[in-house]
Amino acid sequence: MSVSRQKAPAVSLTNKIFSGQKITEHLWMVPLACGVAGWEIATRLNLFPGSHLPTFSSVLAVFFVSIQDPAFLLRIAHSFLTLICGLVLAFSIALPTAFVAGSNNGFDGTMTPLVMLFGALPDLSFLPLLVLWFGAGNAAAITMAAVAAFFPIYFTLREGTRNIPRELFEVTSVFKADRFSTFTKMVLPALSPYMFSGLRLAYDFDWEIIIAVEIATRMTGIGSFIQGTVSTGSMANGFAAILAIALVAITVDRVFFRSLESWTRKWA
Amino acid sequence: MESHVELDNVTKFYQSQERQLHALHEVTFGVDRGEFVCIVGPSGCGKSTLLKIIAGLDEPSSGEVRFKGKIVQEPQSKISMVFQAFGLFPWRTVLENVEYGLEMQKAPKNERRDVSKRYLEMVGLSGYEHMYPKQLSGGMKQRVGIARALAVDPEVILMDEAFSAIDEVTAEVLREEVTTLHRETGKTFVLVTHNLSEALELADKVVVLSSRPAKVKKVLPIALERPRDRAHSTFIHMHTDILHLLKEELENTLLRHKLRNMDEVKSLHDMEAEDRPK
Repeated sequence: MSVSRQKAPAVSLTNKIFSGQKITEHLWMVPLACGVAGWEIATRLNLFPGSHLPTFSSVLAVFFVSIQDPAFLLRIAHSFLTLICGLVLAFSIALPTAFVAGSNNGFDGTMTPLVMLFGALPDLSFLPLLVLWFGAGNAAAITMAAVAAFFPIYFTLREGTRNIPRELFEVTSVFKADRFSTFTKMVLPALSPYMFSGLRLAYDFDWEIIIAVEIATRMTGIGSFIQGTVSTGSMANGFAAILAIALVAITVDRVFFRSLESWTRKWA
Repeated sequence: MESHVELDNVTKFYQSQERQLHALHEVTFGVDRGEFVCIVGPSGCGKSTLLKIIAGLDEPSSGEVRFKGKIVQEPQSKISMVFQAFGLFPWRTVLENVEYGLEMQKAPKNERRDVSKRYLEMVGLSGYEHMYPKQLSGGMKQRVGIARALAVDPEVILMDEAFSAIDEVTAEVLREEVTTLHRETGKTFVLVTHNLSEALELADKVVVLSSRPAKVKKVLPIALERPRDRAHSTFIHMHTDILHLLKEELENTLLRHKLRNMDEVKSLHDMEAEDRPK
């Protein structure tokens, strides 16, 4: 009897701890909800001029209308594709350079200080030059996104290459792997955790770059759309666009990068 | 009779910036087909370098290694290797790791699966096929390494300190199993180790290397019956002999260093004396 009495509270205690964990996991929703509620109340009470800050409910209403508008979706798609092109371009240059730098000290000594030098400069300062060379269009935006993405991708991949155990290269040699399969079946999987975190950083960073480029050059995209809503006074549309970007950015982050990371977590 | 693997005056220098490191000096010995040879020597003497040269991973500065009479200049498909830190690919499952060698030889998928499963069974890892290396203990990882080496059906298996990263009890069990594998497969084994008991327990022949630059100090045939008894008087006797040889080497090295330092002190003293005005 006394044993079962002692056991009963122990079980409920673990239950409490587990449910407690769940609560802390979702705790971020509380300040978010408070913020949204505060926004709604403040705008309803006319604490802000409506032309500067629309009510949250009106933003939501405009948002649901906007996402049914093909032109609006096309603008988001355009910005998103520009970003992806920049990422792919940066990755395809960074992968071979970072791999060689990570495995060859001589090349590393020449390449890495240069990358650091350019990385230390504010990336957007190149924008006027790029616009001069390529015109205010996709080419300049993609190049800008690639320049900004190069830095995090290069450094994570270089670090990853340095961390590949020498022994694994010996294993590929002993089992007579050719260069191609050494790269695809040993180097790439070994680099994948670094690759994913570098790409994720670059992806987050590139959203800022793309929006800034679009605002500055007024080229097609969701950034210039937001800029337009300010000049036409349709602020609810601007906020709806920001909401849409946030959703795209978070969805890709959660769905794409999380699934890649859960794959590496299985073995790493 | 020609040896299965022959080392003929293998010498190795490493060039680093302004210093030259003399790792191996005219190392010559043979390994017969089906023989189990253990290479022992003081730590840092170049044992692993020697094994890498036999594997074709590194090339000698002069001299040559011959496998079945042919000079080894690159890794051979019939020479396989077991690594000290296991050398498993963490992103591959146990089965996929064992399949690796056959995959590189472009063996059909079914075949490499069947062969790999057979060798996993041989090393006692049936049921672990779909686990990742991080889920295994050190001893189990090395079993995977051994299965991977065997799966390509090599004639020679090179082992680089294969039991030194494993706890002693597990290592002992693995050594017994390797002895059995050696007997059953009839393959040639070359093991580099710093563990004398391990060498005496496994080897048909022990090659004792000197300190750097490593030379062959002695080649000892071990005619003891298997399974070997560590308490056997001959075992203990041989252990003492080799230990003695290695201690002698270590003392020589220390003495050499001491002399060199004394020379340096002396020459420094002379130079100072010359500089001093009279």
